[in-house]
Amino acid sequence: MRALASRLVGGVLVLGLVASLVPAATAQKRGGTLTIVRPTDPVSLDPNLETTAPGAWVYFNMLEGLLTLDDKMQVKPALATSYEVLSPTKVRFKLRPNVKFHDGTPFNAEAVKFTFDRALKGSPPARWASLAGSLDHAEVVDPLTVDVVTKEPYGPILRTLAMYCVGIVSPTAVQKLGQDFSRAPVGTGPFKFVEWKTNTHVIVERFNDYWGDKALVDRVIFKVVPEEGARMIALQTGDADMVLFPSPAQLPALRKDAKFTVHETTGIRVVFAGLHAGMPPLDDVRVRQALLHAVDRKAILDNIMEGSAGPALGVLAPGVFGYKDMQLDKVYPFDRARAKALLAQAGWTPGPDGILQKGGQRLSLSWLAARGRYPKDGEITEAIQAMFKEVGVEAKVQILEWAAVFKQVREATLNHHMFTLGWVTSNADADYSLYALFHSKQTPPTGWNTSRYANARVDALVEQARRSLNQTEREKLYGEVQDILVKEMVWIPVYTTKEIIVSRASVKGFHVHPVEYNLALWKTWLDK
Amino acid sequence: MLTFVVRRLLLAVPVLLGVVFVVMLTVDLLPGDAVTLMLGEHATKDAVARLRDHLGLDKPFLVRYLDYVGRVARGDLGRSIQQNRPVGDELADAWPATLQLTVAALLVATVVGLAAGITSAVWPNSLFDAMARLGSLFGLSMPVFWTGLVLIVVFALWLNWLPVGGAGSLGHLVLPTVTLALPSVAMIARMTRSAVLDVLREDYVRTARAKGVAEPWVLARHALRNAFIPILTLLGLQSGQLMGGAVLTETVFAWPGLGRLMVKAIFARDYVLLQGAVLVFALAFVVINLLVDLSYGLLDPRVGRQG
Repeated sequence: MRALASRLVGGVLVLGLVASLVPAATAQKRGGTLTIVRPTDPVSLDPNLETTAPGAWVYFNMLEGLLTLDDKMQVKPALATSYEVLSPTKVRFKLRPNVKFHDGTPFNAEAVKFTFDRALKGSPPARWASLAGSLDHAEVVDPLTVDVVTKEPYGPILRTLAMYCVGIVSPTAVQKLGQDFSRAPVGTGPFKFVEWKTNTHVIVERFNDYWGDKALVDRVIFKVVPEEGARMIALQTGDADMVLFPSPAQLPALRKDAKFTVHETTGIRVVFAGLHAGMPPLDDVRVRQALLHAVDRKAILDNIMEGSAGPALGVLAPGVFGYKDMQLDKVYPFDRARAKALLAQAGWTPGPDGILQKGGQRLSLSWLAARGRYPKDGEITEAIQAMFKEVGVEAKVQILEWAAVFKQVREATLNHHMFTLGWVTSNADADYSLYALFHSKQTPPTGWNTSRYANARVDALVEQARRSLNQTEREKLYGEVQDILVKEMVWIPVYTTKEIIVSRASVKGFHVHPVEYNLALWKTWLDK
Repeated sequence: MLTFVVRRLLLAVPVLLGVVFVVMLTVDLLPGDAVTLMLGEHATKDAVARLRDHLGLDKPFLVRYLDYVGRVARGDLGRSIQQNRPVGDELADAWPATLQLTVAALLVATVVGLAAGITSAVWPNSLFDAMARLGSLFGLSMPVFWTGLVLIVVFALWLNWLPVGGAGSLGHLVLPTVTLALPSVAMIARMTRSAVLDVLREDYVRTARAKGVAEPWVLARHALRNAFIPILTLLGLQSGQLMGGAVLTETVFAWPGLGRLMVKAIFARDYVLLQGAVLVFALAFVVINLLVDLSYGLLDPRVGRQG
């Protein structure tokens, strides 16, 4: 109880006044049209109906939440100016005054309540409700004060509210447009909706009454070009200024070409080879450690990923709140002698065919993987299979269609030793990964603990961190979780994805965000 | 005549019912369902159950099928699962683009194919004939996505004459039309050549020439009219082919048509939208076949009298 009381005291934190005060830069030019090509048309421009990239890239520029994540992954104010933790389940937000929606409706606490009720109480609930954890509803205190209430104490609440899909919508527009709102959303963001021609383009233009720094370009056209080759040609001819999902094979040449700029940053997805810790022989921690030593992860990054991915330094990506560098390269350096020694300690001796054996059983692991779900997932699986063989471990790889892999890893029993998967920490808070992936009660079909990892201490720590609203304390708890995990590794982390966008050199002021969906275009300008 | 048309149109009903059944069953049997794809891998069980219930996906297959057919009979194509938009609106957006592309390609294919085929037949084994036959072989064997990209590289990237993709102006239509028409040009040219060559060997052509009819008149009045029946059959088949081929061409050239809409629906397992699109294609096939059958009667008076 005392810990709880101390959290309540002095919970007031001012988030800062304005998002950023850009110095009156000399060269910035206003105006022009920014044309972006990307592979697919949105499903919808309403976060209630779409949380995937094609829609999010567009609506992220039109709808704003109470909070946002800057490109350093720090929580920054958007429509809220400050917050105060009232109780473990209630956070009070002061709202930004004099903000208007694109349709002229004033932004206020009612709009926040309306947005949350529509998303969380509607039938069916919003697509993002699954990502929002314990978020329950909002209560209007006065026009510029709102209380956000969770079903239970929920530490990740701030990063949940800063997710790209938790944008506040104009209540009048929703009531007026009904179903059509999903094709013409109205928010408070720096761009407002102009036109959506299905499978052709979506156009947005600068919102001149925006409360903050106004967008620099007049309009942005998001064009659909499904064919990768055609997308790259559009960039070269100048039909497009920016291409999303560029062809990886062309990146080395584009990096050297002064006509183009390759924008890249480390993303928040970790791709890994998972180990089933509940199934012999992987229930022996020495065998799991040996497998980590057996894999030359640097060779995979250099030769297979070819600069399109970053190293995986732990089970989380560096931008995620609560991330701790697990120093995997120091703890588990690529060292075949150590791998063999650990396996020998565990009682495995070389057999006649070069594969290790114990009591007549060969050290043979069955491995489930898909091809094409994550960049180079099939190739890395095959590479690791070959590396295992060098230390006397046989891997029987089964490559299936993603839907079939997904079905098997989501079932209550998993009959494979290993599986190639990737995980995105969607709300950028360690809870989303460490709780769902490593809590012993989160085994499928409930959660994603596909490794069947069970450690009572880890359970207690992730539960405590979820219930705490003290972010310093949470960071410490997650650090401790990762200290335990590194000793008992149930994954072979292979790489962290990179977010890569290519533009023509005339596109200035653009920063690629670690979260794929957060495609912020209001500071981008055209030098042409 | 009228009873023929009515009977043919009535026969289309069981065809369409069958088409819907097969499409719906295929989507049902595919691994992965619309709800999981919509809510993503991290969705809670509760959210999945609620959405399935909302969309009526938890009902048995046959109930869903009869529901759908009943609604279509009342003129309601339903709302797309993913976008929650009337399927009628989606189809109305995409259909004109596909029609435009298909008609343009069919026109080009017919005009160029006929001209090349007739020229080849009149001067068989000439240099033109050899070139046309080589060209036909090329046109038939090159996959659409490859020809499309090559045309983009040449005419958009190097020469900068035409846009890379998209729709809007007449210029946007050129490359996709050429790409789509190319295999059909080849087919029509080859078919025309052999049909005209066959007819030119017929007795009535020799008779016409013997009685002193001028050669162009022999060709137009006697040879072509008779050669046209197999060509017409081919044209009917080709227009179906072109609509199907539009799926790939539309993808390469970012053409906002029905083919792309269908691909999108398949990936999303959006069976409501997919069925709407397939219905339009099936209906178009039925109508085209009917038109072809009717035009046989115009070309050959014997066909009409038999029915």
